[in-house]
Amino acid sequence: MEIVVCVKPVPEGETRLRASADGASLDPEAVKFVLAGYDESAVEQALLLKESLPGSKVHAVSLGPAPRTEEVLRAAIALGCDAATWVDSGPAASPDPIDVARALAAALAPLPHDLVLLGKQAGDDEEGLVPAALAEFLGVPDVGHVVDLRWDAGRSRFTFRRAVEAGQETWEAPAPLVVALQQAWNDPRTAKLPAILKSRKVPIARVPPVALVPGVGRSQSVRFELPPPRSGARLVDFQTPEQAAEKLVKLLREEAKVFP
Amino acid sequence: MTERVLVVGELLTDRLSGSTVEAIGAGARLAGGASSVVGFLAGATARSRAPEFGRYGVTEVAILEDPACEGAPVAALVTAVVAAATELGTETILLAGTSFGRDLAGRLAARWGATAATGVTEITRVGSTLELRRPVFGGRATETRRIEGGRAVLALRPHAFPSATEAPCETRLRPIVAPAVPELLRAAHRTGLEASPGGAGPGLAEAAVVVSGGRGLRAPENFRLVEELAAALGAAVGASRAVTDAGWRPSSLQVGQTGKAVSPQLYIAVGISGAIQHLVGMMSSRVIVAINSDASAPIFKVADYGVVGDLFQILPALTNEVRRVRGQ
Repeated sequence: MEIVVCVKPVPEGETRLRASADGASLDPEAVKFVLAGYDESAVEQALLLKESLPGSKVHAVSLGPAPRTEEVLRAAIALGCDAATWVDSGPAASPDPIDVARALAAALAPLPHDLVLLGKQAGDDEEGLVPAALAEFLGVPDVGHVVDLRWDAGRSRFTFRRAVEAGQETWEAPAPLVVALQQAWNDPRTAKLPAILKSRKVPIARVPPVALVPGVGRSQSVRFELPPPRSGARLVDFQTPEQAAEKLVKLLREEAKVFP
Repeated sequence: MTERVLVVGELLTDRLSGSTVEAIGAGARLAGGASSVVGFLAGATARSRAPEFGRYGVTEVAILEDPACEGAPVAALVTAVVAAATELGTETILLAGTSFGRDLAGRLAARWGATAATGVTEITRVGSTLELRRPVFGGRATETRRIEGGRAVLALRPHAFPSATEAPCETRLRPIVAPAVPELLRAAHRTGLEASPGGAGPGLAEAAVVVSGGRGLRAPENFRLVEELAAALGAAVGASRAVTDAGWRPSSLQVGQTGKAVSPQLYIAVGISGAIQHLVGMMSSRVIVAINSDASAPIFKVADYGVVGDLFQILPALTNEVRRVRGQ
């Protein structure tokens, strides 16, 4: 099976955020970029499928600026991906999400792809738009919020579950398919040192940025603001649990006005 | 400018979803009145349910009566929404920001030549420019995006916009004839649904109130204390990663970076210390209450109200008080 996994470099979860000098984006200085959390799951899922289906290959694709994008692709190779393609976005701080999908689709279309895996959304901009838009540009179906993806070789179908508001749905679909994974239902592996060293020598294909298609709606980030630091909780003082309950309900009803 | 706004409705078993009603309200403000909002509904019941839009002053609803739209990938819907938008000449489509809307937004924008944004909490129009605000980094920052003309598909964050006001009117139906959807795009399909435990309550993403429990509950059987409080409040139940990883409750209830992001009016965290992985999933809630025995737990730094105490005593007392006040 030919599997493509799309990954994105995002700031590490604990990073202290700071706006850039013009206030329009995140200041990338002093930010450590890592594989997005959902994407780690996607890579793990790709590798699990590859290991269960002899002859399979996993190709990692990422769009973004240097050097962070190349770094996360090397991380994906160190984990076990066979090849990587870097779509160079140039220095643009936050491209339109649909343009991102369009550029990824252009890079991915020539690669064989029975399955395209992505994280449901990245931990930074949280748009979650790329998987479905990418599928549309590739002309294949997509499903989101997926957990527990398997390949039923006997019937040549993927089977999986989807975690939606109403509960757990079970689904099936033939290849080709774009899948956005819900969460780390699997336990993503960590790369071993020899693999990390070896990954530095693997060539990464670089695709120049695609020219913007004229005449389509396009958005651009103009401000990036950090909220004022929270002052901390107002503590309810009480003698008995009943008193705590009574005071809290009163605060929620009369002050915060959020009591249902 | 009186540009019409298309609101794609999400149907729950018995009504339009609350987030759809919020989208109607947002659309009415954007278009200068509910009469400039056009609804869209798809599915076997589209015709009979269309009048629900009329409750909020929407006079026209585009419908696609195709039972195949249910339990099929959203690709099947996109063709019809695009056909409706083209007929109406609208440039803006609003959606509920639930998993329904979020799944639809990307493909719809790609097909329609639009940009898209999800998790939108504010929309301002200046001439032909739309300015959007949306929380990013799990509520740790806010981004403003500008769309200078052109088509836009916007999925709104649940509870960020007030519901549309009721103004019942007659609705006119506009049946949509959509071109056939290629077989390939219909190939993925649902084979079963297993409702969430407590599926009668509101879904996590849509609930106005969420009560979440964490490791502080100590054992799976104690989790019912959280569920009882949630039931008394009419709230959805959530859980920290520690709870779902331990298998006390299914992972569909997990709130946090690797679970669901929620933004209710009221979020009550019980026995949750407040690891960053949990905080990024709930920090954009409007009011946060923390109940924890450890006064130094990080959850108290992001909470608005805190009760430092033994949750095994506080919770039953709180559940009783809620029942009393709500007259149950």
